[in-house]
Amino acid sequence: MSRTAPPGVLVRDGIGLVARIGLAAVWLVSGGTKAVDPAQTIVAVRAYDIFPQSVVGVVAAVLPYLEIALGVLLLIGLATRLAAVLSTIVLVTFIAGVISAAARGLSIDCGCFGGGGDVDAGQTAYGQEVLRDLGFIALSVYLTIRPDTPASVDRLVRRRADRTA
Amino acid sequence: MAQGDNKRNQQGKPAPAKGGQPARKSAAGRQSVAAARKSSGSNRTQLIIGGIAIVVIVAIIVVGLVLNKQQTAVQAEGYGASTQSVATESNGVVTVSKPGSTPAVTIDLYEDALCPICAEFERQYGQQINKAVDEGTLAVNVHMLDFLNKSSFSGDYSTRAAGALLCVAQQSGSQPGVYLTYHSALFSPDHQPAENGSSDLSNDELAALATSSGASAAAGSCISSGQNVTAAGEAATASSATLSEATGGRVATPTVVHNGAPVNLTVNWLGTLLGQP
Repeated sequence: MSRTAPPGVLVRDGIGLVARIGLAAVWLVSGGTKAVDPAQTIVAVRAYDIFPQSVVGVVAAVLPYLEIALGVLLLIGLATRLAAVLSTIVLVTFIAGVISAAARGLSIDCGCFGGGGDVDAGQTAYGQEVLRDLGFIALSVYLTIRPDTPASVDRLVRRRADRTA
Repeated sequence: MAQGDNKRNQQGKPAPAKGGQPARKSAAGRQSVAAARKSSGSNRTQLIIGGIAIVVIVAIIVVGLVLNKQQTAVQAEGYGASTQSVATESNGVVTVSKPGSTPAVTIDLYEDALCPICAEFERQYGQQINKAVDEGTLAVNVHMLDFLNKSSFSGDYSTRAAGALLCVAQQSGSQPGVYLTYHSALFSPDHQPAENGSSDLSNDELAALATSSGASAAAGSCISSGQNVTAAGEAATASSATLSEATGGRVATPTVVHNGAPVNLTVNWLGTLLGQP
């Protein structure tokens, strides 16, 4: 017996799917470009001048793979709410880092999609970086509120659990 | 005594179920148990899903840390400083090799003294390069660029450091290992100034570092007087042009050029060039 969902649900499903895949792509690209260039990532993290030297190495080593892991979870739609909450936490941390750098008058490239380190004072783009991260947070908050999306492992598991119960 | 209870009779065995009325209650009981199992099942499912997600995250991070360790590992760790290399200068480019050897591989190394990724390169490959040069299998042409001058506190640190290296090559180049030792010292985290930092090294400090790396007093006074700064600036411009030609327009450091083409700096790039397994 098939049912067609009411249009409101279809729209929310559509938005959710776009948000989930979009955020997954962001994390996979961001993490991937960092993972293939560890030296650049160390320089990017160090430029924020937040962590002591010993911690910089650990953060630069772990961060790319945390991003990739979140991207993978979102891509297949497994534990979407959890992945969305973690994404929000990481994005808020990034924004805090950028704002902190700007407040201290540092002149850096955020290194978010590879690159990173120090740049000419005229080339900083803190405003753009914060706005972009806020856009990503909008996606992750939407998915936190409504994590059920089509074409996801979550939905597959839920439907099988409902049928066998 | 309620019906449907598993009451034990006097002998301690479960009482047999009675027919009739208890069947309806059992059916109701089954439905409520099934309902309870469904809601607790979906809670449990959520926990399992969350648990799997955590495992996935941890697994990817662990794999990543292993990969990262491999990618950033110091090559030929423990070899230490070069002990046999000599340096000769020609038109602002310093060639480092083992005297009397005919190395199979010659590379052109483009760096900027202020560049932190060059410092990472030195950390990871410096000892391996020292070893290959000492063994006579590698020669290195060192090209010091200075495009990061504007990021230095004094505004011309990259050129002055390049000039200091020229002084050491000219005055102490024939002393084994001295040039490479000074070169490594300039990129060490103990000495390399920060980009956009609040200080960098003066000519006198560059000179002191040179003499403590084994350079002669003549090299030291060459550095203090800033004798080679102009020449270093001109050499940097020329090297920038040759680098741009080799890479098709991209001037970035560190870059290794071999046979006219930039080398992809994977972890084993030097081993591959030297033909090591």
